[in-house]
Amino acid sequence: MSEATNQMLENLNALAGGLFLLAAFGMVATRQARGCLNLFITQSLLLAASAALLGFRHHSEHLYGVAVVNLISKPLVVPWLLRKTSPEEIYTRREVDQVLNIPTALLMALALTILAYFLGVPLSNAVEAEFRGPNVPIGIAGLLLGAFTLTVRREAVPLLLGVLAMENGAFFAGIAIARNLPMLVELAIATDGLIIVFIMGVLTRAVQKHVGTTAVGEMATLKEAGAEPVKEEAVAK
Amino acid sequence: MSALIILLIPLVATALVCIPLPKRWPMGVTVVACAALLVLTAQLAWRIAAGEAFVSALHAGMLKWIAVDGLSALVLLLIALVATTASIFSIGYMAQEGLTPGKLRLYYANYNLFIFSMLAVPMAAEPTLVWIVVELTTLCSALLVSFDNTHSALEAAWKYVLLSLMGAGMALFGFLVLFAAMQAAGGGTYTWDGLAAAAPQMPPILLQTAFVFILIGLGTKVGLVPMHTWLPDAHSQAPSPVCALLSGVETTAILYVILRMFPVMRAAPHSHPEAWAIVLGLISVGVAAFLLLQVRDYKRMFAFSTVEHMGVILTAVGLGTSAASYAAMQQIVAHSVTKSFCFFAAGSTLLALGTREIGAVRGLIRRSPGAGAALVLGGLAITGAPPLAIFLSEFSILKAGLTQGRYVVTGLLAIFIVIAFFGVMLHVNRMVFGAQENGQHAAPAIHHSEGSNGNKYRLPFSCGLALILAAVPMLLLGVYIPKPLHDLLTLAGAALTK
Amino acid sequence: MSRRIIFNLVQVLVVLVFAPLASGVLSRLKEMVQSKRGPSIFQPYRDLWKLFHKDEIISEDSSWIFRFTPYIVFVTPIFVALLIPVLTNYPLFFAFMGDMLGGGFVLSLGGFFATLAAVDTANPYGPMGASRTRMVGFLAEPVFMIVFFTVSFVAGSTIPYIVQEKWVTPLANFFMPSHVLLVLAFLMLVLAEGGRIPVDNPTGHFELAMIDESKSLEYSGRGFALMKWGGYMKMFVLMCIFLNVLVTPWGLAHEQALGAVLVAIPLVLFKVFCFLLVLVVIESSLSKLRLFRISEFLGAAFITSVAAMIAQVFLP
Repeated sequence: MSEATNQMLENLNALAGGLFLLAAFGMVATRQARGCLNLFITQSLLLAASAALLGFRHHSEHLYGVAVVNLISKPLVVPWLLRKTSPEEIYTRREVDQVLNIPTALLMALALTILAYFLGVPLSNAVEAEFRGPNVPIGIAGLLLGAFTLTVRREAVPLLLGVLAMENGAFFAGIAIARNLPMLVELAIATDGLIIVFIMGVLTRAVQKHVGTTAVGEMATLKEAGAEPVKEEAVAK
Repeated sequence: MSALIILLIPLVATALVCIPLPKRWPMGVTVVACAALLVLTAQLAWRIAAGEAFVSALHAGMLKWIAVDGLSALVLLLIALVATTASIFSIGYMAQEGLTPGKLRLYYANYNLFIFSMLAVPMAAEPTLVWIVVELTTLCSALLVSFDNTHSALEAAWKYVLLSLMGAGMALFGFLVLFAAMQAAGGGTYTWDGLAAAAPQMPPILLQTAFVFILIGLGTKVGLVPMHTWLPDAHSQAPSPVCALLSGVETTAILYVILRMFPVMRAAPHSHPEAWAIVLGLISVGVAAFLLLQVRDYKRMFAFSTVEHMGVILTAVGLGTSAASYAAMQQIVAHSVTKSFCFFAAGSTLLALGTREIGAVRGLIRRSPGAGAALVLGGLAITGAPPLAIFLSEFSILKAGLTQGRYVVTGLLAIFIVIAFFGVMLHVNRMVFGAQENGQHAAPAIHHSEGSNGNKYRLPFSCGLALILAAVPMLLLGVYIPKPLHDLLTLAGAALTK
Repeated sequence: MSRRIIFNLVQVLVVLVFAPLASGVLSRLKEMVQSKRGPSIFQPYRDLWKLFHKDEIISEDSSWIFRFTPYIVFVTPIFVALLIPVLTNYPLFFAFMGDMLGGGFVLSLGGFFATLAAVDTANPYGPMGASRTRMVGFLAEPVFMIVFFTVSFVAGSTIPYIVQEKWVTPLANFFMPSHVLLVLAFLMLVLAEGGRIPVDNPTGHFELAMIDESKSLEYSGRGFALMKWGGYMKMFVLMCIFLNVLVTPWGLAHEQALGAVLVAIPLVLFKVFCFLLVLVVIESSLSKLRLFRISEFLGAAFITSVAAMIAQVFLP
């Protein structure tokens, strides 16, 4: 392929990476559960796009396969499964009071991204030249931002999507450096993701039914100190 | 071939359990399946200890990634053993809960799936496959942890799933980097053996990054501090047989995966996995020992003790010599059998009294001699009192540390173990022998005690049987290690230091 | 060289003449989207003509700032129009007088005086709107800075003409992540600075909720006409910067002939029209943000611009 096309593909891939990063920031900051879900779908589409672009660039059908698997499992099956297993109304939930207010959370997310950059660049320099590119640092950033989402969000659906976003991030880095992972493994990992959604959906439904709220991050009663005072009934009957 | 049968049995059991037949069917199927597993894994372990190497006979697709060596066989054997005793204990325990047949079937189906996922961990030789199965263990046990459907159980299950998946995400990245390191070293089969062979040529930064991510990610599932926050909750809120499985063998199985990284790291020059292991191990032991002093719930107490022992094992592996590795393997075996016994004892206590709080339990020995004796024995055993199994293994670890000249590490380890001993025994002593203020039986009885106030509580027969079965290896291993087990332990230790 | 001066003046004339038209087209399109007929697109011209012929009433308690501000608000966009590429893609006579940063400062000079004038008359709604305008302004500053710095980092210069070339040659540069993310961030900025939904409602009459409109509450007659015209021109200038430098740096005159420059005029108007369509879609589908959510909106713009910078740095 010509140099110009290669350059264009690499730029498009970097664009997909930039938007991927933006979607990860969005998942930290949106208030609404539905918004979080839409951003996750966007992020997965960008992951598939990046895989397809890299596949085109490096002539690897394997990456096309990865793109297709990701395209089917995450944007399509995950929302469907979520709808089936968890109650419908949790999508209308918004977080009115959050753990951290949004601008602060965004700034900390930015700091994490810079950390990811410092972690990622030595890593991508250690592999061969053709594997380099923005994927590894952006992937690590996606991983760390997913973990950060898990700490700042309280509602059930964004927490679940944070977990899946971590996997998206790990994969985004992986498609650049671990290119020849066997297809069966990719499929198995995708299925794993679906099982995660299923189980967490069931758990959410149970939480909704028995606890009455899906602000699962607020459940914090199991502790040592400050737990229900021991009922020392030292009463002489 | 037998390895595949070992994997198939729990799957078949799950399917059979789902058939709506009369009440005893699910339990019977599970117990039979686990007993069959025990026989098969023992046979496999025997053969491997006798020197036979096992790689899957079939080389098609994913199946060439199933391999069993000394370390795997040991872990498989432990899983099968604890699964069997826990399934026997479940019979009596779950009967007390008064569940609908549908819910009971759900429990046993989940139970079998969980066993399947745990069995697959030592058998998989390809790291990403291992990762997938590790995720499966989390997912299959999530619904078991939340089985009671109380507020606390759901909270515990949610925390468990969330933190485990977070760790798994990090570990996934670690495994992908490991794969890239393998590619950079020139390719080869991506199995544990292949990794160890290719390690000298791997770029060190890739290998070290992968190791750190895997250690932290899977360390979350093992319960190493500071990622352990889910463990006391999940391991105390689950039904007791599930707790025995979780504490006894699931953490061990995940620790196995971490231990597999050590020969890879050792084969590469300029890498010091031992430093990481010792630091993390000692921190875990220390924090757990101090937290043990202030628990209010006796199942949480045993859960913290799991954190402590995982730390001890990791420290022992970090010491590095073959004697220390042997001692670590011994500790793994001792911990699994002892911890399952402890949780059976805790479960019996819960059945007898209906409360989990330490403060509400006094004079257990009078209410239920069986549970009381078991609790005392369990408390002594898990903290390393002679002549029980853990004493021997901890003593070996300390001895290995001293002969190596690592006085600081050994000293710290000894101090923490002693603190834990005092913590646990203080609580257990008060619970079992403490003077009863009044015939107090705490109000929110989760399990209705059959006897009315003041009467002795009779444990269900299956619970007692499970306790006795679990106690046998615990007592035996404290004085004598049979030769086949000794060979197996040696092989397992060698797998770490090669 | 005289040709360049002439072209510069033509550029200013274009901005002067067509800015009210852009505003008129936008109002008409918004009404049409809502299935109404809407005013004629030349209505702003008629309004300006009417206002120039009306008497002016000025409060006795106001100072020279009140009288002076309409002229400043009218003139600052003209200055900026001298600096940016409106019709040509080669630098004109005044092009090196100030770069994008300078242009930004000149625009905010106009805003500064407008804020002061709003406070000047002691009308209670004036200062309220003025403080809100300042809040939006200072929240938008970091975004401006980061956008300009990223652009200069990529293109190696802060002169708009030179920057604009960078995105066009080669074509692959158009898809650079820094470029696309900068477009997104700058779009959010245009919405904020131009006082459009979701930051502010330009057609609202409710003084308690006004942000940008409050600057011209007290004006009448000629002062009002100048403030309005200045407002239209500021929006037009922002759109020109956005379109000609960032989004569509094509369709500008290459040769130094008057004919080419004149041909560029309808092309630029067409680009502005397309952007107005996008603006109408945005305005009709979003709702105005609550006041304290504006900081989140601009925070998102900030993050987008920083992401652009990071993506640029990550590219090998």
